[in-house]
Amino acid sequence: MSTVDLMLQGFATALTPSNLFLCFVGCLWGTAVGVLPGLGPLAGMALLLPLTYALDPAGAVIMLAGIFYGAMYGGSTTSILLRIPGEAASIVTCLDGHEMARKGRAGAALTIAALGSFVGGTVSIIGLMVAAPLLASWLLAVGPAAEAVLMVMALVVAAAVSSGPIMKTTAMILAGLAIGTVGIDQLTGEPRLMFGRLELAEGISFVALAIGLFGVSELLLSLDEAMTERPKTPRLRELIPTREELREATPATLRGSAIGFAFGIVPGVSHIVSTFVSYAVEKRLSKTPERFGHGAVAGLAGPETANNATTGSALIPLLVLGIPAIPSTAILLSAMQIHGVQPGPLLMTDRPDVFWGLVASMYLGNVMLLVLNLPLVGVFVALLRTPMSVLAPLVLLVCLIGVYSVKASPFDLWVMLAAGVAGYLLRKFSYDVAPLLLATVLGDRLEVSFRRALTISDGDYSTFAQGPAARVFLVVAVVIAGLQLGAKALGYRRPKG
Amino acid sequence: MTRSTRSLALALAGVVLASVASAQTYPVRPVTLLVPAPPGGGTDIFARQLAEIVSQTAGQRFVVENRAGAGGTVGTTQVTAAAADGYTLGFIWNSPITTSPHSLAVSYTPDSYRAIMSIGFSSYVLCARPDFPATTAQGLLDHLKANPGRVTFGHDGVGGTMQLAAQRVFRKLDIRVRGVPFGGAGETARAFLGGHIDLYGGSLPPILPHVQAGTARCLLLTSAEGNASLPQAAGLGAIGLAAEETVLWWGLIAPRTTPAPVLTRLEELFVAAANTDGFKQVMAQQGATHRVLGSTQTDQLIRTELTALGDVAREAGIVRRAQ
Repeated sequence: MSTVDLMLQGFATALTPSNLFLCFVGCLWGTAVGVLPGLGPLAGMALLLPLTYALDPAGAVIMLAGIFYGAMYGGSTTSILLRIPGEAASIVTCLDGHEMARKGRAGAALTIAALGSFVGGTVSIIGLMVAAPLLASWLLAVGPAAEAVLMVMALVVAAAVSSGPIMKTTAMILAGLAIGTVGIDQLTGEPRLMFGRLELAEGISFVALAIGLFGVSELLLSLDEAMTERPKTPRLRELIPTREELREATPATLRGSAIGFAFGIVPGVSHIVSTFVSYAVEKRLSKTPERFGHGAVAGLAGPETANNATTGSALIPLLVLGIPAIPSTAILLSAMQIHGVQPGPLLMTDRPDVFWGLVASMYLGNVMLLVLNLPLVGVFVALLRTPMSVLAPLVLLVCLIGVYSVKASPFDLWVMLAAGVAGYLLRKFSYDVAPLLLATVLGDRLEVSFRRALTISDGDYSTFAQGPAARVFLVVAVVIAGLQLGAKALGYRRPKG
Repeated sequence: MTRSTRSLALALAGVVLASVASAQTYPVRPVTLLVPAPPGGGTDIFARQLAEIVSQTAGQRFVVENRAGAGGTVGTTQVTAAAADGYTLGFIWNSPITTSPHSLAVSYTPDSYRAIMSIGFSSYVLCARPDFPATTAQGLLDHLKANPGRVTFGHDGVGGTMQLAAQRVFRKLDIRVRGVPFGGAGETARAFLGGHIDLYGGSLPPILPHVQAGTARCLLLTSAEGNASLPQAAGLGAIGLAAEETVLWWGLIAPRTTPAPVLTRLEELFVAAANTDGFKQVMAQQGATHRVLGSTQTDQLIRTELTALGDVAREAGIVRRAQ
């Protein structure tokens, strides 16, 4: 049977009334958990997983996948309007998205984010259909050594992205790396920096840290800053992006799709890393890099597209190898296993209804999300009319609920509040907290993959320059670092940011 | 008798009556089943299926709540500290009670809770790629013995049940392999399939599809018996080490002072639920072996396993930390 026939069969599965309904429920719930700070796709999928036990396998997977990619749409909303990332992949969206909102372009920013999300999501489904087996073999080529080099590359990118002075950025990256070491060391079982708290065994909760550093600190800043900094509520006709904004967003969206899709197969932190890389690329290519951090359209469109483009390729390790590479797809795996469906090399032949039904439902889901999200732009923008004295306590409450819902851990609430105060002070002294967060995520993986690689090679450091994957990452890291240093040596001054 | 002493006496009588009644009619309100793992894994799936069945037979809702963290020790601690009224129970896998205590200063021992029953187990397995020199369990062990410290073997993490299960066999045979810890069987499988490590060590489900596709060959199980889905892999019994069995198993525990009649009732309810055809099928789908044990046998299993794994952990240089 040809791919076209299979695809048509997939649409037949996805278009049954019950599956169409499940896809819609998934997308709607996904948008909601994406919008709410703290609640990300992982928590959203985990909450609804028990409901899927009663469904048929295709329906269960269609609904849960809807939550997974739907959350990437919703995540940008609070980033743009309130500078509070709805989920981890929307941290970069805060940088320029919120600046646009401050200039009265909130509606345009939300529209560009929704359109970019649609393009990124759709491109990545096409990629999933066409290149899944090829990308799966690339994924396998990335061993511990290559992963360590990749993490170094991502850190170099984080440094390049930051708008702060190099010393302050380095300090933030080092602090992030230190925070990443908290918890039980995976390789020796040694507890580190836990201070007798069992809650810290798995490290400091990333969600609590991110919501604290970005969300809570933003609320604290809004308390003492003059209200002039508030985003202006745009009039209705200002909701639509101008032709100039669209012209700037289009190439960024296309590049974001490619970057997001390529990074989607990176295990663990793909959706976060892809947004930082996309931002760095757009800033490098821009004729006006000084506008980044001050409401550059490309700085919003690129990363927002990239995080949606990771969703299709993040499914590849699960569907082709049966091995989930990120926690969200691990939930999809268990939803399949409950029904006796084992994803892996034989899935496409054994259960074409599940595989092609899922792919078809993702096309439909992305259209639904676009239709759902565009009218919501007006609704969300109206939020800005709410006085801060009402909005701030509400947002804080939502943050508390979101963080608590991840592990039902009261300890995480204290982590969030402490991170909020720390974030407030750091931003008062104009430190950029984004590199700190990225370094926290990457540092942990960098360390374990670095030590794992050396265990495998028996202490031979040349392992980091062997194999095609490690070499590619190494070259990219050196080129980015070289450009950075070269620009410095030639006397290019970064504009103040 | 003043009014206040009379009402006190009445209240006391009420409490006594209520506790007698509770044993006879338990449960009279919904019961919380704490699962110290996140939603979606085997432990969560089994807990939810059992809760579903028992809710019908007991006439009260059994509600699953996930309390993940620190390898299950956070949720297990909460169970041992909960009110011993039969309304908070823990559905656990063996690692937090028989493995973690060797590396983490957890607050509980086998005397801090009551084992009610257990449902069965899933074996860990050692697999090689098709181009590996050995094709049988004995061949694998001979190869490892002939190449001390040269073969790399991926496992679930230092001090985890999977590592100790393998180490327990290796130390009996005086074998040295180079252990490479990963964050879980999925990560191990990825590194194994990509050719970055020589041997896969982990649970069955992630590797089974690759065995069927011919890209992995499993040789040795950590259970005494073999497994029908892996005809090429030998159980420990086949190499004369049946006593060294270490597997992943699941069971139900309650706080220490839970009334005996309540414990008996729970054992009846959950043993019956685990023996239904529907539940047996759920276990088979997860690649687990159905083997229901009652309270006494499960308690015995916990104590034996805790001691045996303690010896292995000590020899592997793992020490209990005061954190």
